Amino acid sequence: MDQQEIDWAKLTEIINAHRDDKWGLIPMLQKVQEKFGYIPPEAIAPVAEALQLHPSQVQGVISFYAGFTMKPKGRCVLKVCRGTACHVKGSRSILRAMKKNLNLEEGETSADYQFTLETVACLGACFLAPTMLVNHDYYGRLTPNKINSIVGIYRKDQSDG
Amino acid sequence: METIALTINGIRINCPAGNRLLEAAEKNGIPIPHLCSHPSLHPVGACRLCLVEDEKTGRLMAACVTPAAQDMQILTHTPRIERHRRNIVRLMMAEHPESCIVCNKGNRCELRGVAARLGIGATNLYPMPNYKQMEQANPFIVIDLSKCILCGKCIRADHELVGAGAIDFYMRGFKSRPATLHDLPLEQSNCTFCGTCISMCPTGALSLKGDYAGTPERIAPSVCGFCGVGCSLSLGMAGEKIVEVNPDKKSNTVNGATLCVRGHFAMDFLNSNDRLAQPLVRENGNLIPLSWDKALDLVVRRLFEIKATNGSQSIAFIGSSKCSNEENYLFQKIARVFLKTNNIDNGGYLFGRQLLSMVEKRTDKGGRFNFFAGSLSGIEKAEVIMVIGADPCHTIPVASYYLKRAAAKGIPILLIEPQHTELSKDARIMLNPIPGSDLALINALSALLCRRGSSENSFIERFTRGFGSYSQSLNALDLNQAACDSGLSLDDIEKAADLLAGKKITFMTGRGISRQRQGGKIMDALLNLAMMTGSIGYAGAGFHITAAESNMVGSWDMGTVPDALPGRRLLCEEETQKEWEAVWGVELSLKPGLNMLQMIEAAEKGLLKAVYIMGENPLRALQEPERVRKAFERIPFIVCQDILQTETTAAAHIVLPGAAVAEKEGTFTNMEGRLQQFLPAILPPGDSRSDFDILSALYQKMSGSPHPLFLSDIREEISRVLPMHTGNTQSSHLVWIKDFAQKNEARADISGSSIEPKFSDVFPFKRDTPDSEYPFTVLLGSDRYHLGSGTRTSRSYRIATFENSAKIKPKQRAQSPHSLKYPDACGGELQISLADAKRLALKDGDAVRLTSKWGAISRAVRIQKRLSQGLVYVPGAYNHNDARCLIPLTPLFSEESSGWNYCRVKMEKI
Ligand code: SF4
Ligand code: SF4
Ligand code: SF4
Ligand code: FES
Ligand code: FES
Repeated sequence: MDQQEIDWAKLTEIINAHRDDKWGLIPMLQKVQEKFGYIPPEAIAPVAEALQLHPSQVQGVISFYAGFTMKPKGRCVLKVCRGTACHVKGSRSILRAMKKNLNLEEGETSADYQFTLETVACLGACFLAPTMLVNHDYYGRLTPNKINSIVGIYRKDQSDG
Repeated sequence: METIALTINGIRINCPAGNRLLEAAEKNGIPIPHLCSHPSLHPVGACRLCLVEDEKTGRLMAACVTPAAQDMQILTHTPRIERHRRNIVRLMMAEHPESCIVCNKGNRCELRGVAARLGIGATNLYPMPNYKQMEQANPFIVIDLSKCILCGKCIRADHELVGAGAIDFYMRGFKSRPATLHDLPLEQSNCTFCGTCISMCPTGALSLKGDYAGTPERIAPSVCGFCGVGCSLSLGMAGEKIVEVNPDKKSNTVNGATLCVRGHFAMDFLNSNDRLAQPLVRENGNLIPLSWDKALDLVVRRLFEIKATNGSQSIAFIGSSKCSNEENYLFQKIARVFLKTNNIDNGGYLFGRQLLSMVEKRTDKGGRFNFFAGSLSGIEKAEVIMVIGADPCHTIPVASYYLKRAAAKGIPILLIEPQHTELSKDARIMLNPIPGSDLALINALSALLCRRGSSENSFIERFTRGFGSYSQSLNALDLNQAACDSGLSLDDIEKAADLLAGKKITFMTGRGISRQRQGGKIMDALLNLAMMTGSIGYAGAGFHITAAESNMVGSWDMGTVPDALPGRRLLCEEETQKEWEAVWGVELSLKPGLNMLQMIEAAEKGLLKAVYIMGENPLRALQEPERVRKAFERIPFIVCQDILQTETTAAAHIVLPGAAVAEKEGTFTNMEGRLQQFLPAILPPGDSRSDFDILSALYQKMSGSPHPLFLSDIREEISRVLPMHTGNTQSSHLVWIKDFAQKNEARADISGSSIEPKFSDVFPFKRDTPDSEYPFTVLLGSDRYHLGSGTRTSRSYRIATFENSAKIKPKQRAQSPHSLKYPDACGGELQISLADAKRLALKDGDAVRLTSKWGAISRAVRIQKRLSQGLVYVPGAYNHNDARCLIPLTPLFSEESSGWNYCRVKMEKI
């Protein structure tokens, strides 16, 4: 993975905005993730220093919550539901189709940082099973064919710039 | 304190309010199994093994986290609880790998113990070992997290006790485990290898790396022989080899549950091939073995001959800040009584003992109590702490944990050091004055406090003299000039003064001051500051002086110094002379003898005909090594008593093999003034004998007495004549501790104002003139992997392995120019600032030569972002302690040197 140089000014700004908050760690991490799309590992030390925590403690918190990630993710994060209802409705083949289409395994991000493929346990939309979530948009009653056209839309997006 | 009454298993018990159920039960002799709780750690309730039942409600709760409450009715061993406990342990066992039989924790594995007591043989569960990668690249700690039960003790110990923060939980669920930042190997984290976590770990997940696996055959208490903290150890032995070290579990030790890398891991130097095992005599240039009797006869005969032909002044004795009180006492007694010489010194000379002795003369008429803070535990109760001229995280690591814990509790620390140190992150304010300008800075701080009326007037009136003229000169001080001299902004100094204002100060200071040319004046200025703020005589306030070696305090107490008799009684007083003549029944000379440096000078002039060295290695420790070597060549008779082959034994005519702490009986006095007894845990190798036995045999031969002299005789004598040792007569199989620092008579001056220290003058600060030929300033330091000049620690297999692995190999450098993966300079690299690195086009790992007026060394560099431009930090002890070549062997206070801590150098890339 390419190590991208992170925007230190942006990071410092976030840290300074939250350094004096009570229980500032989680909000600070959320802001960092919002701005950067992930929590750059280089951000751990400065965050810890500002809050007078040990860097290992901060990493402990980040790695505990599924909502935080230390890996940069793609522009489109596709979450295929692998919950019970979706499973019954064939989500396994949806996932397989998705893997094939994107040439990614679960948890992987494409080299051009366009797509990240993930799975979730239930999206809470079982009546639409099998389902998936792309960034903030839900898609239901999926079929392998439908998958290809959905991914196509996001691919097209990209070529449009 | 409020007490609470409750019932456990039908028995009515009392406990202090705030106790947790587990504590209350255990104190009352009711054991409850537990794995994740430890008396010195915050309870978290992770393992659930300590479940107990509330009799009234039937509720199950974890005893380690539940506070005891009035009238609780608790059951600890009902069938229901037992069933739960058994299931918990069964689940842990099902997740455990099968490598139990060869586990390093052996029978001390607490999980095994709990399982045995609960009668769990087979779990009858489907085994689901949670395999995790084993990490054992570093030479200290083996990590096998397959055996981790996630109790979190290692993490809490690391955070709460030693303040390193190297590890924390990482990930969650089945993947959860302790890990370093970025999940790197320990040596690439800020782990200091104190090993506290491995002693804490209830299972074999963390264990000591060595060539022995399993349970030691026996366990014995001992005291660490490295630095002056004097940690209590529990040694594990197999045969006559120490295979394991842990902090001793008894209560009220200095170190509690902690240790440092030296105490925990460097003890393996005892197995070094360089250990001496038989007396040797030089014949035709070679050292050849001979019997003890012959060797000692020879020593006695030659010393007496030399005394008869050349006089007592031609003989010198170098005692040891690493040998016991009893040994040092007997050593100087032999010198003074039989050889009639006061030419006695010890390694403490190099740590600036001279300067401390000046301080004592000013304050205590030669005692050591009045200004010293005593127990380190006071640090955690301090109002404000000032650390100046000391790098405790490296020199006295376990004492630095006290500072880190104090900081975590919110006690402000003012750190004054020329450079960023490991303590910087714990300091509320750090000031980095120009090296050698501490005096200007302290004067400015005192002046600011004085001007804002922040002086403790009732204390000043009652206990001191001369405040008037002192405050006048403070008021006359030019603050802007002082700020400029120290290279700081007045604003920053004001902030530091704000931090100190209105508080009693606890000082910690060390070789950064005591080895400075202006050190005496700096100490005076600090004492003035202490008196003005009333920071003396209160629990927690006063001075902690770092003691770099195990018995630096005690060897001085015992009189292995040129200018004082035992008890730090100054030689120049006639009263002292009379008293001691009566004790020993001989005439004593009042004339102070030669100190270490004067001995070298005498040798150079051919005046020194014999020197007897016990447990010191001056040829590795003293500056200007070439000069010292030549001086030694001129001494016709050198006796060297040591445990290892050293640079000095190589120059000796007779070598007598002594014993290490773990191999003998004696007492040390640590930096707090705490007297600690130790007993032999193993036998010394081969024919070697305890240093006391050697000296006592010499004593008997010299005195011609038919009776041998026993340790108990000398102990009895010491305790009779030295009030500070009263009561230290017994010899038991327990380690016997007497904490003088907590005795009230040590503070007699405060309650009774028996001494009245005088404020000394405000000495103006004189800046050294810069020298364009030598544009850099070297700061000499020491790091935690070595002690002193490194004679013992460099013989530790583990330390040497670590050092080698940390050194940058040329091949690695070719692959990547920034290949320094270790955050610590544990390969002995010198550190330079980023700006200087850029200017000289130096990268990490490049080799440079430093040249001072006195010598030159070559080392690899490491770029230290936080170092100021123009400074170079050089850790001592590495490469045969070559760093000492850079500084002159001149008297500490002489004008032509800048002391023994700093020197000016030029730097070239090689
Ligand atoms: S060895 Fe010491 S510093 Fe390292 S992780 Fe263990 S407790 Fe922390
Ligand atoms: S490594 Fe040991 S001390 Fe640390 S959590 Fe695991 S079992 Fe507990
Ligand atoms: S702090 Fe000093 S006495 Fe304690 S273990 Fe380390 S070297 Fe030994
Ligand atoms: S199981 Fe897929 S949305 Fe609920
Ligand atoms: S000892 Fe109480 S939960 Fe572990």
